Amino acid sequence: MQIDLNEFIWAIINFLVLLALLYKFLWNPILNTLDKRREEISSNLSSAESMKQQAEEMLEEYKRKIAEAKSEAQDIINQANRAAEETRNTMMSQAHEEAARITEKAREEIRREKEQAMKEVRDEIATLAVMAAGKVLEKSMTKEDHEKLVRDFLSEVGEIQ
Amino acid sequence: MGHESGYLFHIFGLGVTSKITTMWAIMLLLTVLSILATRNMEKIPKARGVQNSLEMVVELLLNFFSDIIGYEQARRFLPFLGTMFIFILVSNYSGLLPGAGHIPGLAAPTSTWSVTLGLAATVFVATQVYGVKALGFRYLKKFLQPAFMLPLNIVEQFVRPLSLSLRLFGNIFGEEMVIAVLLGLVPYFAPIPVMILSLLFGFIQAIVFTLLSSIYFHEAIEESH
Repeated sequence: MQIDLNEFIWAIINFLVLLALLYKFLWNPILNTLDKRREEISSNLSSAESMKQQAEEMLEEYKRKIAEAKSEAQDIINQANRAAEETRNTMMSQAHEEAARITEKAREEIRREKEQAMKEVRDEIATLAVMAAGKVLEKSMTKEDHEKLVRDFLSEVGEIQ
Repeated sequence: MGHESGYLFHIFGLGVTSKITTMWAIMLLLTVLSILATRNMEKIPKARGVQNSLEMVVELLLNFFSDIIGYEQARRFLPFLGTMFIFILVSNYSGLLPGAGHIPGLAAPTSTWSVTLGLAATVFVATQVYGVKALGFRYLKKFLQPAFMLPLNIVEQFVRPLSLSLRLFGNIFGEEMVIAVLLGLVPYFAPIPVMILSLLFGFIQAIVFTLLSSIYFHEAIEESH
């Protein structure tokens, strides 16, 4: 068994030539296509994964926001209730105060009116009394007596005042 | 081998035998088929199209080698290993064509040691090139681990192409001899079972050759432990 050097060399040349030809026409196009598809699928998968994650995050955020809004609405309602209560209380106490003030004022008025009336009555009575007394005394008193009496009365009145 | 190694003609002073012309025919066939299949590459090929079938074959080979040496290396070495596999497979099968070995210009290329040794030599050179390219000086240092194994490690490198080429040549040559003898004893139908077996053996031999090559490549570019 011996090696035919011609065949040996041809085999090497042929293989290298075929390698080059198939590389250009078979392996390169097919492997590139497979690589591209592989890359695309893996990038699609990862982008789908990230989108899913994003969607989940958004869902989470919206849930949180809805809960926030709910609690905020509750806060606002509570606050409004409290404000209404407060306003009611203030108005009630103001009304009470006002009523008390008006009552007091009315009482004061009444008292003053009564005093005035009393005073007027008293003056009237005094005048009438003096006039009555005058009428009675007119007949029995001299002019001097009359003057004296008036002076005394005046001084008395002055003392009273 | 006698009369079969007679040269048909010479190119550049190199004698051309029937095995070489058969190789050329196979090369032409494979190249034309490849061009036809990949002429219009589509991102989404038709289900029953040529491109899809070819992609299936390529992926089959890719997965086969990925299981042995990992996807990255399989992807990298596939052009070499795949070309070798297809070349050897078709060469083996060419010997089953009627008249192979008798008609001038038609003979199974892998049925002579000269050709299988030539193919194994490319594997040998490629192994060294890949190793040095991947590891540089460290590739050569691997032969010195341990140092006293250096001669044995070097011998191993040269034994590999010998065993590769002898195994392939021996099997194919043997089959052809059996078929030829049977054909001589009982013409026409007697060799048919052997020829069917040869289809299987031809496939197995192509697988074994490229499988071992892939392991050599893998071993060459791996860091030493």
